[in-house]
Amino acid sequence: MTASATASPVRRRRGRPAMRDGITAGLVIRYLVLIGTVLLTVFPLIWLVLTSLRSSADIFAVPVRVLPESVTFNQYVAVFSQYGLDNYLWNTVIVSVATVVLVILCAVPCAYAMARFNLPGAKVVVSILLIMRMIPVVALAIPLFAVFASIGLLDTLTALVLAHTASKLPVAIWLLMGFIQDLPKEIEESAQMDGASTLRIIVQIVSPLIAPGIGATAVITFLFTWNDLLLALTLSSSEAAQTLPVGLTNFVSQFGIDWGAMSAAGVMMVIPTLIFVWFAQGLLVKGLVTGAVRG
Amino acid sequence: MTTAARPAGRQRRGSSLAPSWQKGYLLASPALIAMIAILIYPLGYSFVMSFYRWDLASPSQYFVGLSNYRDTFNSLGFQQTLRVQLIFSFVTIAIEVVAGIGVAVLVNSKLRGLKLARTLLLVPPMIAPAVVGLNFRWLFNGQYGLVNAILRYLGLPEAPWLSDPNWALASVMIADIWQNTPLLVLLFLAGLQSLPQEPIEAAQVDGASPWGIFWHITLPLLRPVIMIVLMLRIIDTFRTFDVIWLMTQGGPGGATNLVTVNAYLLAFQSASFGHASAVSYIALFLSLIFLALLYGVPWMRRRLRRTS
Repeated sequence: MTASATASPVRRRRGRPAMRDGITAGLVIRYLVLIGTVLLTVFPLIWLVLTSLRSSADIFAVPVRVLPESVTFNQYVAVFSQYGLDNYLWNTVIVSVATVVLVILCAVPCAYAMARFNLPGAKVVVSILLIMRMIPVVALAIPLFAVFASIGLLDTLTALVLAHTASKLPVAIWLLMGFIQDLPKEIEESAQMDGASTLRIIVQIVSPLIAPGIGATAVITFLFTWNDLLLALTLSSSEAAQTLPVGLTNFVSQFGIDWGAMSAAGVMMVIPTLIFVWFAQGLLVKGLVTGAVRG
Repeated sequence: MTTAARPAGRQRRGSSLAPSWQKGYLLASPALIAMIAILIYPLGYSFVMSFYRWDLASPSQYFVGLSNYRDTFNSLGFQQTLRVQLIFSFVTIAIEVVAGIGVAVLVNSKLRGLKLARTLLLVPPMIAPAVVGLNFRWLFNGQYGLVNAILRYLGLPEAPWLSDPNWALASVMIADIWQNTPLLVLLFLAGLQSLPQEPIEAAQVDGASPWGIFWHITLPLLRPVIMIVLMLRIIDTFRTFDVIWLMTQGGPGGATNLVTVNAYLLAFQSASFGHASAVSYIALFLSLIFLALLYGVPWMRRRLRRTS
């Protein structure tokens, strides 16, 4: 900490003259690249929002109007009244929340055991976790369809929660292990001297200390479950268990393509992501970078 | 049991954390049981069944050896899939990595608004690929889509984005590049900020050109991050499904039929689970081959250099 604090003024002092020599041309290019990247990133999403606010006649206007003729929320009303989006939304919320809860409950003790107990075979388990990260989801979806069909769980939310929990566990355990390994062992050791049980150490000492790690894991698990199309498409066939991404595919096949309503549904699907990106940006980046670097 | 527990008990006096492996596995058991039952068992099952004739239509399953794999490699559809997948993986990864490094290096200084930009860059990688697919399908709509409207406005010829096979492949690649490049920018930015500053400062003092510094110092230092990013992207391009499914469902005429789309169609439209399992394992083996090349080739080169 102190080293970096003393180093940065030096760095800045040396960086400045170089920048002044390179003259503002370099700086202009940097800003152009930054602005261009941001515009390219944001514009398709703005277009999605604009489409969702148009009337159906406005959507099929030729030539294309950049701004909506008049802003209307009819498409948002339609996705609920005509397309029953509330059902998909509800299914998606249940599956995502249940998956996050189960993943965290299972992954924290497992990661703790892998990080702190010298388990025989722990290396094998950890390398299996990494291999699981590489398996194409479709390789899992095909046999899961057969397995769940044979036990009558197809087209249930239970099947989706089980499938997501299992498939998100490897990454979650991997991420949490990293956070636990970064903790100093001494706190746990002294707690144990005081006679605390392992479970109590995990719940009362380790979990609060790795709260950012648990948060990052929970957010990433939630978003990847929320976003998933393939498992939901495979394991559900009716409105009993179909989630929002599957609902989006239904807009195409069932009703022709109603672009306005589809865009409104898309916008609503993106809202939780935007909320997490805005409020939990630090956690997300931490999780993604740690996951990537440790991967 | 007791003999196994005793060394652990003895250890308790040495290291105070008392690592008894039974307790460890007890803690790990919920996760391990879930993964064995719902992940490893089905995967093993479908691996075995990739050597069987396994159709949903007929209840009889029998061993056919490598025939599913042989059929797959002999089928024209899969040869097209293989070609499309290789083009998709190679082109998207190349563009994403080059653009990711370029943008990261250029914006990696004290720029106003960089913090906000980083937040915004996090949006595309985190939103549902299904929404990205539907949005780009709308943008690339031939008649009412924005992209053709812009081309028309500029007096350029319109493109048959999703209706022509070659353009369709380009369209899905553009959607993938839009979604994933921002994540690579963020990862490379994180990588750049963890680099030691001394070599770069020394080169600046010596009057090296910015391009020289980038090419001879920054890029070599960034190598570990580049390797990790390449690994992640190789794995993920061989798993790409959602964007394609919402944009083209593998069409037109199989032009965007990546391996996972191919496997899905075989399983759930042709009901040929044996073939579909074979294809999904081929997808895994292909990504393993590329990872082996990625890590094996530099390793061999280093070995050769050391011996010569």
